[in-house]
Amino acid sequence: MRLQLAVALALCAAAPARGDGTLAMRGVYYKERATRVMQPMLDAMFDAGVHGVATGHFLVDAITSASASSGAANAAPFTERRYEAGLGYSHELGLFTVGADAKYSTESDYTSRYAGARGQVELGQKNTVLGLGGGASLDTVSAAATQGPVQLTLRCDAMRPGASSCPLHVYAMYASASQIVSPNAVIGVSVDVSTLRGYQSNPYRQAIVGETLVAERHPTERTREAFAATARYYEVRTGTTLIGAYRYYRDSWEVHAHTPELRIVQEIGYDIEASLRYRYYTQDGAYFFRNRYPPDDPQMTQYVSDDVKLSSFTGHTVEAKVSVLGEAFGFGGRWAGARFESILEYVVQHNRFGNAVVAHVALTLPFNY
Amino acid sequence: MVAAGVRYLPRLVLAIFAGVLTAAAGSGCVVVRAHQRGHLAKRAMTEDRDTGEARFGGHERGSREGAEGGAGQPGGGCGCN
Repeated sequence: MRLQLAVALALCAAAPARGDGTLAMRGVYYKERATRVMQPMLDAMFDAGVHGVATGHFLVDAITSASASSGAANAAPFTERRYEAGLGYSHELGLFTVGADAKYSTESDYTSRYAGARGQVELGQKNTVLGLGGGASLDTVSAAATQGPVQLTLRCDAMRPGASSCPLHVYAMYASASQIVSPNAVIGVSVDVSTLRGYQSNPYRQAIVGETLVAERHPTERTREAFAATARYYEVRTGTTLIGAYRYYRDSWEVHAHTPELRIVQEIGYDIEASLRYRYYTQDGAYFFRNRYPPDDPQMTQYVSDDVKLSSFTGHTVEAKVSVLGEAFGFGGRWAGARFESILEYVVQHNRFGNAVVAHVALTLPFNY
Repeated sequence: MVAAGVRYLPRLVLAIFAGVLTAAAGSGCVVVRAHQRGHLAKRAMTEDRDTGEARFGGHERGSREGAEGGAGQPGGGCGCN
């Protein structure tokens, strides 16, 4: 028995690694005026056979909020947890790569099931990559996180009576293209289209109509489109990468948004990478959004909203990020390739949400098996 | 001012897309071969954000901003009240 164990151990030690993978551990802290989020997460990616790559993730969102829009009563903060898990697989077939992924998310008042598929093809000696993908998300919304004594009912749409929960279905498609334009420059574009059908209000939020508060009523249909373009350029002499991106967004609720972004990534030796990012965001308000609604105008009050996300506002984001390889700390073996990362982000928002701070710490550990 | 910009920007965006797609279609003229792609393989030139970072960023922005999308996958999950 002891000999068998020794032989088995020797075989294991001598067997060549069958594949590579990475395991990433990340912790995120988010803070704004009335809400604090802590999110630990795990992400794994590993080779599955010669042509396959499998991925998986698990995360917990711990949201502490005193906002009435999250169900808090009398501005008393309470904590709610959201759990999310996802799996994915992609397979290379010559010039083509096809894949699928699924995820499930649950919290006391919201459940979501998502499944999607994607494919891409490499053309022109892999100088051009074209991608296409799509997915569907079947969600259920309720008011189960209400902290007050009264349990709310939801009006799934204007035709139905009150219910304890309502469905929301999201169908999305995207297409993307990237093109190498020189040995140190690459550009890319993408188009996303999604359509939402179902309950899209916040069950806890109320709008001011005349002198009274009325439960939020949003349209039950929304079509969203986003067009994005990116360009990356690497300056060889200084080891600097410049990344410019722009996104234009529009939807059937007449929200239009522009998001230009600039990132500078600087190599510091072989082991360290530091980056700075600036992002500007501006949007128009939804056609039915008002700060206060007139009481006797049925046209105007068909839909009422108190959602800050549907108002007109601008925002600025500044981010600093540092990535350091384990080698820089003198680590050897698998820890030499481990990547330590920290991010600090400050968001200035000209709306009722106010400013926000986001901090990440992460460790990505390579492994083989 | 934003509204004025919004009126003509779709055409500008379409022009950008047309330009990039033309560049893609003309890739037969400028082919960067595998041995010339050392710089393009750098992390910052491919995708310098980890999956977890990108996922949190998308989720966080979706709970603060009215515009979503542009990252290639719909939401799934709320946590956004």
